[in-house]
Amino acid sequence: MSADHTPVLAGDDIVAGYLPGVDVLRGCSVRVGPGELVGVIGPNGAGKSTLIKAVFGLLRVRGGTVRLLGEDVTGRPAHEQVRRGVGYVPQLQNVFPTLTVEENLRMGIYLRPKEYARRSAAMAELFPVLATRRKQKAGAMSGGERQMLAMARALMTEPRLLLLDEPSAGLSPVHQDHVFDRVKEINGAGVAVLMVEQNARRCLQICDRGYVLDQGRNAYTGTGERLLHDEKVIELYLGTLARVR
Amino acid sequence: MRCPRVLLPVLALTLVLVAAPPAQGQGEVSRGRGFGARLLQSLVDGVQFGVIIAVTAVGLSLLFGTIHLINFAHGEFVTIGAAFAFFLNVSAAGPGWHLIPAAAAAVVFGALLGAAVDRGLWRPLRARGTGLINLFIVTIGLSLLLRHVVLVLFGARPASFAQYDIQNAIRLGAIGITPRDLTVTLLSVAVLVGVAVLLQRTRTGTAVRAVSVNRDLAEASGIDVQRVVLVVWILSGALAALGGVFYGLVEIITWDMGFKLLLLMFAGIILGGLGSAYGAMVGSLVIGIVAQVSTLWFPVDLQYAWALLVLIVILLVRPEGILGRPERTG
Ligand SMILES: Nc1ncnc2c1ncn2[C@@H]1O[C@H](COP(=O)(O)OP(=O)(O)OP(=O)(O)O)[C@@H](O)[C@H]1O
Ligand SMILES: [Mg+2]
Repeated sequence: MSADHTPVLAGDDIVAGYLPGVDVLRGCSVRVGPGELVGVIGPNGAGKSTLIKAVFGLLRVRGGTVRLLGEDVTGRPAHEQVRRGVGYVPQLQNVFPTLTVEENLRMGIYLRPKEYARRSAAMAELFPVLATRRKQKAGAMSGGERQMLAMARALMTEPRLLLLDEPSAGLSPVHQDHVFDRVKEINGAGVAVLMVEQNARRCLQICDRGYVLDQGRNAYTGTGERLLHDEKVIELYLGTLARVR
Repeated sequence: MRCPRVLLPVLALTLVLVAAPPAQGQGEVSRGRGFGARLLQSLVDGVQFGVIIAVTAVGLSLLFGTIHLINFAHGEFVTIGAAFAFFLNVSAAGPGWHLIPAAAAAVVFGALLGAAVDRGLWRPLRARGTGLINLFIVTIGLSLLLRHVVLVLFGARPASFAQYDIQNAIRLGAIGITPRDLTVTLLSVAVLVGVAVLLQRTRTGTAVRAVSVNRDLAEASGIDVQRVVLVVWILSGALAALGGVFYGLVEIITWDMGFKLLLLMFAGIILGGLGSAYGAMVGSLVIGIVAQVSTLWFPVDLQYAWALLVLIVILLVRPEGILGRPERTG
């Protein structure tokens, strides 16, 4: 078996939830190949964030399996997945507000402190705004800056897989463009990306493949292009405006 | 800058006290000394009391910050520290060590005890998803259990350490302080500075702060949160034991000394802002000063009550505590 074709992430039939006896994910599957940019869209409450937390190990999986580069990591805690090369940017509270920008980045590379200088220099290049704010508390940054810091924190370890939960949420159109550009740039450098997005059309436009999630199950799967023009997906998830274009 | 905000309540308090001189002829000992001199003396006593409370309270505060546990048994860690040092130092069954190695051993013992209760009790309970209220009840039970174990082993009679028991005060103008008390105060301050440096400048300390502010994000950054919590338990146990030795040294060792201090520790950490280590230090200092200065006017038996009254008054003005941050909205 050639390593090239082993998916970076393979989650199969995942069942997970928060409250005892209530499953939010009811048999959900997701796959990310090497270097792929994969989008997940779906209505509010569909379980998109839950899916990311479950594959990452922040939420206990009740059924199904999670494989990273072929290795079974089902039920392993998140900090071990970071060691295996996964980065994660949560939807909310994605920086440490009481820590400075520098301390946030240091926490990003907590496992390999010696590499801090090299990696933070690389991050300053990717996100110039951070370079001038080293000593500022993350809590005092604007929403857009905070999103940049959150991504930088997750990229400090040079992950092979980046999990992004709604990176453009709450940002102005200009900042959204900026975020999507960065995501494409990161992906272009060879990092596989799994991205949940509220901005479904933008997401499908830049994604190689997409999943539509509904009520904890996969509703549709396909290339971004195909989903973008699928009548049912348009009607249910993209809104009729999409058809006009 | 934070300083002015911290100093304000202390300053206000001092002003009120100076503006209202007490009735004449209260204390027997202090009769004949001017009010200013007595105020100065009680301030010094208050600082000494405050920094010792702070040494014990920082660990309590860190535990609340990282795992939201209200550790009702924290006072017993303080007592056990003092009692263990007493065993090594004085007890007929013990080796009769000098107090300094005995104190060092008590701190190590406190650290091990902290590690043991985390690994043996709290971690399994956390893993089972036990709720915070239930955990709180467990700490009450643990507190009762440990207190009575100490009562059985140590006995109900108060005792002192073998060294540094009776000393003459050094006089510095109007104030007097024994070399022992001065040393304990300076050591306490040094320990508090050490904790601050640990939290602020080291990788582990930054991780403790990261876990306190967002546990999931810390985990997502590759931090082994359970290990950080273990470190906090070890630190908390060691500081409690050290504070116990200090308190036993300047006051007296009793089987329920930690339990009596617990109320003041809680007052200190709530006053300073729950979960903030620096808040715990500042809050404890204020509580210690209030408790001592109140004895200028009021019976010593009521000194804890005054400390708690100040807590209530300050919380009415600043609900988030002196160093606490208001709840984020948005
Ligand atoms: N911490 C939690 N405790 C209990 N239930 C939760 C928790 N987080 C989410 N849920 C529930 O799980 C379901 C899925 O939530 P999830 O956050 O995964 O949705 P989502 O698809 O990410 O939605 P959104 O687009 O709004 O971010 C919702 O019904 C939500 O109420
Ligand atoms: Mg979500």
